[in-house]
Amino acid sequence: MSEWLLILALVIGVYAVAVLESWASGNRLRLLGPVVSALALLGQESVLHRKNDRLFFETSPILLLIAALLSLAIIPLAPGLIVTDLATGALFFNAALAYVLVALIMAGWGPDGAYGMIGGWRFLGQLIAFAMLVVMPITAVAMRAESLSTITIVESQAQLWNIAYQPLGFVLFAIAGMAMAFVPPFDLPNAEGELAGGVEAEYTGVRRMVFRLGRMVLILSVASAATVFYLGGWLGPWLPAWAWSAVKILAVTALMLAGGRMFPRIREGTLLAWAWKLGIPLALVNIFLVGVLVLVVPL
Amino acid sequence: MSLQVFFLLVFGGAAVWFGIVVFLTHSMVRSALALLFSQTAIGAMFLVMQAEFLGVLQIMMMATEMSIMAIFMVMFMMDPGGLGEMDMKHQRKTSLAAGLVAFFGALAVAVFADWGPVATDIPDAGEQVRLLGFELLGRSMLIFESAGLTILTAMIAATAVAVQARERKPKP
Amino acid sequence: MSMELIVALSMGAALFGTGVYGALSQTNLVMIMMGIELILAAALVNLVAFWRYLHPDAMEAQMFLLIVMTVMAVEMAVGFGVAIARFRSRGSVEMEEAQELKG
Repeated sequence: MSEWLLILALVIGVYAVAVLESWASGNRLRLLGPVVSALALLGQESVLHRKNDRLFFETSPILLLIAALLSLAIIPLAPGLIVTDLATGALFFNAALAYVLVALIMAGWGPDGAYGMIGGWRFLGQLIAFAMLVVMPITAVAMRAESLSTITIVESQAQLWNIAYQPLGFVLFAIAGMAMAFVPPFDLPNAEGELAGGVEAEYTGVRRMVFRLGRMVLILSVASAATVFYLGGWLGPWLPAWAWSAVKILAVTALMLAGGRMFPRIREGTLLAWAWKLGIPLALVNIFLVGVLVLVVPL
Repeated sequence: MSLQVFFLLVFGGAAVWFGIVVFLTHSMVRSALALLFSQTAIGAMFLVMQAEFLGVLQIMMMATEMSIMAIFMVMFMMDPGGLGEMDMKHQRKTSLAAGLVAFFGALAVAVFADWGPVATDIPDAGEQVRLLGFELLGRSMLIFESAGLTILTAMIAATAVAVQARERKPKP
Repeated sequence: MSMELIVALSMGAALFGTGVYGALSQTNLVMIMMGIELILAAALVNLVAFWRYLHPDAMEAQMFLLIVMTVMAVEMAVGFGVAIARFRSRGSVEMEEAQELKG
């Protein structure tokens, strides 16, 4: 029973993320938008290149979808509603997201085209820097919960949500999550207008639909992780547990998608300089502060 | 044949096969990514052997490391796409002999040595993480701290070697 | 004598053999480092097998594993730093051409 609930939640979540993304970029709420564009992509002719690396070209969208789905496996929607309660769930989230990097490198290298390849290799630098900025706030969250299991992390926020306990960590995690899901302004791999579409442009038809579907699941997964680690998951006064989860996840997704559109895209050299020289020291300060708070304040 | 043996054979076979593909393929990026999937299969073997933290850690670290190796391949190798069919090996017979001697030697030690009784009482995954934490910061604190210092030194050394020397501005 | 231990150790042995073959037969520095990574990974497999099947309550074994993983990462970092420096001065990282000190 709970597997069907989880699959239903996944489908509704991905649909909602697609609607929110088209709202954030087009300013019109088209509720049937995803269905129309999915049918359009299915009917599109699939153009193959002459000299592509066939193995990488075919595997990459599937690997992106699998990596994003695996990273959703440890997100709890309600006290019993989780795919697998791994004892090292918080670390597994980062491990699954690292394969997004592999998928985009394959997608950049496969089609034997210059712009896609540049997009793929740019994403390498971006994801390595921001993966560090994801795992350090997770360390601080796990310090407060004294466990890496996601259900224990949610239960440890029963008295005070982590966003109030570690606001610096939340800001860093949200920004780094947006960078890992290559949401604008961090969309260096598939920069429209600059890289002529980048990594995503070489795909047409069914493969492009799978690629975009993988990206939607990835955005959903990053937003779900932000609510589980920082906003208290399913905790809340009146509504049932899964309703609180849904509200919080959709709020974080809307914030990430709409808020990101307000900022310009930064050049990759400057972006990486800020991530390594400003982000990592801030994350270390966050760990230190949380360590002091955990020992001193009895919350 | 128990479930663990079956999965060890599957993931171990995948790891060895990807490892052999690393040195057989002509395309350089394919060989870096084959090494990545070999290390992922090794991480899966750790998970089968119930070392959950180490398995997840191996999978996470090796994805990033081998992607870095892929970009270094593209930077340094002459033919990263592998379409030129160049043959880049030397001392073939020696290395093949050394590889086979190493394999059969390790296999002989594994099969013929007497390893003693097999343990059956494994702490579960959450308990393992707690005990590992206590071990790292309790008894092995000196090793942990000196490993951290070694990593810092290696980072500074690698950056210093790799950065281009800046030309001094002429003094006015 | 358990089947699982022998299977795990033989997988480690096969990876070790492949790594030795690769490290000795390749001419490019990056490929040699891939062979060394395979050798270290084989050592890791053997260590986990020994921990799991012979001494599961000794957490020192897992700590040793973390140190070996650290060594893998550090060796790769320093090796690539040296490769960059060599490439900048010579234009290639082929080992066949690195014979300036040869008698």
